[in-house]
Amino acid sequence: MGEHAKLYMGKDIYFWNFIVLMVFTLFELGAVFFETVPGTEIDISRSAVWAILIVVGLVKGYGIAAYFMHLKDEHKWFNITFLFPWIFVALMLWGIGLSNPEGVTGLPSWCTPDWSYATER
Amino acid sequence: MSGHGNHVANSTWMRAVMMAGLILTIGIVGFAVLGVFVAENKHHTWEDEHHHYEDAKDEWTAGVADGSVNGSDHSEPLYIAKEEAHNSEIAAHLSYLTYRVAGVTMLFIAGAYATFIGLGGFLNASKPKGDDHHDDHHDEHEHHGSASPIIFSFGIMVFLWGLPDFIVACKALLDDTVTAELGMLGVSVSGLLIIVIAVSNWWFEDLPFIGHGEQIATSYPFEGDHIRKVGLWVFIMSEIMVFATFFSSYLRMRTEWCTKWAFENSNGGFDGCRSEDDWVLTASDYLRPGGAKLDGFGESVGDFWTLLPGGINTFALIISSYTIVLALKTAKNAKWEAPKGFMGKLMPTRKAAVRNYLIATLMLGSLFIVLKLVEWSHLVAEGFTIGTVQGSIFYIATGAHGLHVFIGLLIMLYLVFKADTVGFDEDNAQGIEYFGLYWHFVDLAWVVIFPAFYLY
Repeated sequence: MGEHAKLYMGKDIYFWNFIVLMVFTLFELGAVFFETVPGTEIDISRSAVWAILIVVGLVKGYGIAAYFMHLKDEHKWFNITFLFPWIFVALMLWGIGLSNPEGVTGLPSWCTPDWSYATER
Repeated sequence: MSGHGNHVANSTWMRAVMMAGLILTIGIVGFAVLGVFVAENKHHTWEDEHHHYEDAKDEWTAGVADGSVNGSDHSEPLYIAKEEAHNSEIAAHLSYLTYRVAGVTMLFIAGAYATFIGLGGFLNASKPKGDDHHDDHHDEHEHHGSASPIIFSFGIMVFLWGLPDFIVACKALLDDTVTAELGMLGVSVSGLLIIVIAVSNWWFEDLPFIGHGEQIATSYPFEGDHIRKVGLWVFIMSEIMVFATFFSSYLRMRTEWCTKWAFENSNGGFDGCRSEDDWVLTASDYLRPGGAKLDGFGESVGDFWTLLPGGINTFALIISSYTIVLALKTAKNAKWEAPKGFMGKLMPTRKAAVRNYLIATLMLGSLFIVLKLVEWSHLVAEGFTIGTVQGSIFYIATGAHGLHVFIGLLIMLYLVFKADTVGFDEDNAQGIEYFGLYWHFVDLAWVVIFPAFYLY
């Protein structure tokens, strides 16, 4: 960060990151407020809202971590430090599949162990 | 971080005491206007609406009793009048809570800020001017470790040791029926005292820091990096784990709950979730439009207004993330020039600009806390309490996040003080940069919490 930051349309990357975060937040709220796509009769399903929330969350998270926290310009060990705990986050989310009562039959096969004894029990 | 012999005059520390007085005054005025004057008016309105509702209810009950009204017919004019009066009463109650809680929270926050900055300033202003241990034989870049963080951690440990009784004592202040257990209260108060002393000493060491003597890592893989920065990143790593436990606990439980969302997203429900009677209510059912919490007409209570505090808070955190970036950018820019027009009057110098960006960040963060507690008060008033599993995970997760925001605000208060006195420039701006990392992380956590708990 500093006086030599590259400009895009006269503004630096931090400004545009800020604008993207604001716009995506509006989009996120809009997805929950509207039952149909504005101006159409196309229903916004629960699955669509879920997908929007996840995608918007990922974009916003990337914007904050990469630009505001400068991870994009840091050397790899800072990135590794930041990403390391996400392994455990992924494991805990996977644990949801393992421990859920419907984990054996109700969830997609990629997130369940599909142990044969569990299905026979 | 050590001051390296650069002393700050005691009178400078006294400015912290004056700053505390100013903040406390703002808090008292805010409390008087919102929490007393406006809230009292709102309370009268609430009482009127309550009587109106009681009358409408009596009229309907009498009608049902004498057979002139069908008790199960929701299109009966008396039933509609009763439910409209009920909705008005709830709206008036929530309106009263908004101002009352906002006023009390402003007073509480201002009190905490004033205590923190005032006590720290007073303790440092009262210190005798110490001998300068740095004679000419020492290298200016020699590093100096600080014991303050360790003392601070010890203080937290002691405080937590007595926390249960501390909480009971706080309850006793608010509720006459609760008796304070004084056993461990002394321990927790001692912990608080150690924390204040450690923080005060930490400031004493940091305030004169003008960029010389930053400790540099000398070994792989962070060779050449500032040790404080590496430490901050390791801290953030642990923080990710803390929030991951809340988030995964919530998702784990959520996959089992029969929520309206899960019901509608499955064809005809699933075992244990076959009808509306099975639905459990999450916070988002009270807050988002179309949520499962219904009023007497069968309409969802969630609408634009119920989601507004959470929405404003999301924007407030994003804007505050940007204002702290602006503070850092300004501090690092040696060729900074005052903007023209109104902004130029607000920020005539680089020092004033940095300070004002930090003040803006502080105010946005404070707004977050006020709105958070207003929102909580509404949820509790509507019956979403911590006594349920859904309430427990919601209040613990959002409360832990709010606590992180609040602690960040206390640190920011010191940064505002330093920006106003010693100042930040390209040599010592890392103080803002490293705090900014923490603040951005708090924003990042909210990016996950907000959709998961409010919108989903």
